[in-house]
Amino acid sequence: MEFFQENIHLKEVFVQLVAFLIVFFTLKKFAWKPLLRIIQSRRERFENEWGSIEKTKRDVATLKQDYQTHLQKIEEEARAKMQEALQEGRRVAREIQEKARAESQDSFEKAKTNLEIEVQKARISLRHEIAELSIHVAEKILSEKLDTAKQEKKALEILQELEKKL
Amino acid sequence: MNAADPVIADAVHAAAAAAPPAEELPNFITLLEHLFPKSPMVHFLVRWENIVFSLLILGLISYTALRAARKQGFLPKGVQNVWEIIVEGIEAFVTGILGPKGIEHVPFLGTLFVYILLQNWLGMIPLMKSPTSAWSTTIALALISTVYVQWVGIKEHGFFNYVKHLAGNPVGVLGLVLVPLMLIINLSIEYLAVPLSLSLRLFANVSSEDKLLYKFAELNVMYRGLPFAFQIFANALVLLFSLVQAFVFLLLSTVYISLIMPHEEEHVSHETAQETPH
Repeated sequence: MEFFQENIHLKEVFVQLVAFLIVFFTLKKFAWKPLLRIIQSRRERFENEWGSIEKTKRDVATLKQDYQTHLQKIEEEARAKMQEALQEGRRVAREIQEKARAESQDSFEKAKTNLEIEVQKARISLRHEIAELSIHVAEKILSEKLDTAKQEKKALEILQELEKKL
Repeated sequence: MNAADPVIADAVHAAAAAAPPAEELPNFITLLEHLFPKSPMVHFLVRWENIVFSLLILGLISYTALRAARKQGFLPKGVQNVWEIIVEGIEAFVTGILGPKGIEHVPFLGTLFVYILLQNWLGMIPLMKSPTSAWSTTIALALISTVYVQWVGIKEHGFFNYVKHLAGNPVGVLGLVLVPLMLIINLSIEYLAVPLSLSLRLFANVSSEDKLLYKFAELNVMYRGLPFAFQIFANALVLLFSLVQAFVFLLLSTVYISLIMPHEEEHVSHETAQETPH
């Protein structure tokens, strides 16, 4: 009992109790609750903002995906169109080539026929000339006296002349 | 150190000269007593030594906490930052044991913890003293803690169920016969053993820390050199054990609350009780 009396001073205990309780109730109302509230509200705000950030990130990701598919589509379309144009070009080239070939064939044929016609014409005019010449030779022979040797010689001359012309 | 030596030596002599052999380092009140032994003011201070240092700590806590709470900044700075760390840490610790409902006990347990911790540490500052090295201080805190725990029990269970719990939840004739015994056991444990163990543990630890510091300081005055290293070691020990003792007080108070709270949290409290063999 003496030990208790020596070490425990009731007045001190009482003052200690009262002082602590006053400080406790004051701090509970004016410090702990506001601080806990601040921390809680900050936590909530962080969580909300974190959530919205995550949502925006997801939105951006889907948008990116959309754009990529769009871009791919556009690229594919462009490629298809280019291919088409290429084929069209090739077709046109082929057509032009064929046309040109046909035209050249045509003009060749025409030239050939023209040439043949000319040859025919030349032949005809040659024939006429030969006839004329023959007539001419005959006229000369007839106009001169018929001397066989002379005539033969003359005819040969004419023929030589003809050969030269041909 | 040389300049301080005579003062310390004087103080040691003064302490030794006092009627009961002083076992603690001198604080400014003992120095005042040494300087003005006849002054009634000093006599009053000596009489209320522990209370003076307690009030110092209470003032410090109140001032900083109220300032911190008044700022309410979104980005905490300075004193607000410190107090928010304390509040958040204690909140996490208490709700970890008591569950989310335990947040209402955070102000009480937090104030208790900070108060005890700073009182324990105060003895390390020259010319200061740990008020918790006196049993009067710790028994007051232990009584407050006990009453708080029982009040939580009454609030949570209702008065009738609380008394039933104290009587050991009697079932059948045997239970009714055992009621007086259970009442005696429960009452003596909850109203006597708990505050005694809480207060004695804290008081004994802190006063022996102070004695340790005093003894090493005494060695330092008597011998040069080596004891200084011991003193530094003792300081580190006191720093650590003061924290441990404050923490143990907080932990045990929390566990007592969790034990008296309704049974949905019982498995949690059992786990924590097993983890703490203090």
